[in-house]
Amino acid sequence: MKIGRIKILIILLVLFCVFPIIGQAAEINLSLKDKEIKLNQQFEVLVSLDTQDESINAIEGKLLYPDKLLELKEIKNANSIINFWVEKPHMELNGVIVFSGITPGGYKGENGLIFSLIFESQNAGNGNLEISDTKVLLNDGEGTRTNLSLVPLGIFISEEISQDQISYAKDDEKPESFAPEVSSVFDIFEGKEFLVFITQDKGSGIDHYEIKETRQRFLTMFSDWIPAESPYILQDQELSSYIFVKAVDKFGNKRIEKITPQNPIKWYRNYENWIIIVIVLILACIIRKILWEKINLKF
Amino acid sequence: MKNGLFLIIVIITLCFLGTVYESVSFATSVNVSADVQGLCGNGIVNPGEQCDGSNLNGESCTSRGFSGGTLSCNATCTFNTSACTTVSPGGGGGGGGGGGISIPVVQTAVNFSGKAYPLSKITVLKDGQKAITSIAGPDANFNISLSGLSMGDYTFSVYGEDKDGLRSSLFTFSVYVTSGATTNISGIFISPTIGVNKSEVRKGDNIAIFGRSIPNGDITISVNSDEEFFSRTKADIDGVYLYNFDTSVLEMGQHSTKSKVALNGEISSFGRMVGFLVGTKNVDASVGKTAIKGDLNDDNRVNLVDFSIAAYWYKKTMSVEIAAKEIDRLNGDGKIDLADFSIMAFYWTG
Repeated sequence: MKIGRIKILIILLVLFCVFPIIGQAAEINLSLKDKEIKLNQQFEVLVSLDTQDESINAIEGKLLYPDKLLELKEIKNANSIINFWVEKPHMELNGVIVFSGITPGGYKGENGLIFSLIFESQNAGNGNLEISDTKVLLNDGEGTRTNLSLVPLGIFISEEISQDQISYAKDDEKPESFAPEVSSVFDIFEGKEFLVFITQDKGSGIDHYEIKETRQRFLTMFSDWIPAESPYILQDQELSSYIFVKAVDKFGNKRIEKITPQNPIKWYRNYENWIIIVIVLILACIIRKILWEKINLKF
Repeated sequence: MKNGLFLIIVIITLCFLGTVYESVSFATSVNVSADVQGLCGNGIVNPGEQCDGSNLNGESCTSRGFSGGTLSCNATCTFNTSACTTVSPGGGGGGGGGGGISIPVVQTAVNFSGKAYPLSKITVLKDGQKAITSIAGPDANFNISLSGLSMGDYTFSVYGEDKDGLRSSLFTFSVYVTSGATTNISGIFISPTIGVNKSEVRKGDNIAIFGRSIPNGDITISVNSDEEFFSRTKADIDGVYLYNFDTSVLEMGQHSTKSKVALNGEISSFGRMVGFLVGTKNVDASVGKTAIKGDLNDDNRVNLVDFSIAAYWYKKTMSVEIAAKEIDRLNGDGKIDLADFSIMAFYWTG
């Protein structure tokens, strides 16, 4: 009897030693706001991170979805825990979304939104959304990889046709303020001066950026805005232009930031000043003539 | 007369050319107020303090925009409104505001308060970008307000920089900012700064581990080896600490050290790690000054510019120059990948 109990104890000990204790792992969760999906319905899938009490500052991966059942309509990253995207979430192939980014200082929490996806159901049936080829790194200064737990999200699309439209919250807030910066490095962009910029929009998310370079102070309205992405190679490599960067969110709200020229041109080289001088002189002559005639009439 | 009129017009033109005319509106969305703490705890409301002990400077819950309750003062000489009451809107539960009572408009803002080092520069990052800097008081306390924010999720990071230019690690937290509300984040305890006087130390000699923290704080120093060694010392009245570590207990090779501080029951987390080599000779740390990890453009900062440089080389064959920097300032595995960005994110300064 005693020997039997000892044998059981030994077996249990061996089991504990052979099979490692399953430690906590960070989790990437996929969740649906709408439990029931009908045909031709738009719905949102949230991709979020539970760090399981660790501080995580970098993440990359792929999200696979059944492209026979679903059409991707929009990728949203407003309010993401990711501050800087190495690869902004985008469709690499049909049914594959890739993403990669960092959070300086790290994120520690249970429900950190990475991004969300708006799909429209195209066909009825069952399918899975899953995360693959994923890395999650600790905020330890070493880039240490941590364990990750992934659970696919099963969806079922019924034959019933949806009559509803997805509703979007109104966004009338401008994007966040930001500070564009000019820099140059000799072994990238052939050593040319380039501009870096980024901001967030807490409402609908950033849609695009535009840039304007102009040496004029008053006639900037005649310069064109150019769609741009960071990093942007400056057209004026002499750094004599005012640089305006406009961030536009998905509702059309705008935030414009300005950089003054590092090497402003001399006033006499700015044709704008000469135009103003000529206009003022002409006006002065006209006023002088009118006043002179009035004085003559009086006398 | 006509010559005088002409002269006046020319003078006006020259004045007009000299002014800066803003043809677009520029956002000044962040209103800044930084309170430098004075002698908190002396019962006198000094400049930069909201209150001090029982001295509320004539304020009450009502004057602070609440309907009633008891206003008190935190140990950091900021108001404690936790015991103030508001009237909830019908059907709601706690918090909120509005209903049938007129309440003063409150800006959407976040207040940060805590401890760093005496007269240290405090930087607050908002979503990884520099939002505001301020100076801690002589007692190491700081109180910073950031307003003009939108409603939504933010990642804020706070770090300190001492008089010697040493920076702390980032104290990072996620906050959901509610429109029209002020969020108070208190109890921020910045980790000590740390430096060593030798990049290489002869085995058996001492290496000086030093830095700054809160005055009179209890410093715990960890030296990493196969076995971790812990030592204790105390910061002086200026927050300076120094410890001479006997390297005879360490194996030959690369080691690292970090520190944390405790005071009055509060403990910071461990801060930045500094590396040193236990070898056969002594080499001063000032000789061949070590570049900052993650700083790829040598501007002593780690920010969007460095991120953009790394992103340029992401999944590309690196040039000779960037490959050398990758070895020196990133993880040295011969390629730019997510691990390098993770290292950059840890050493981020904004």
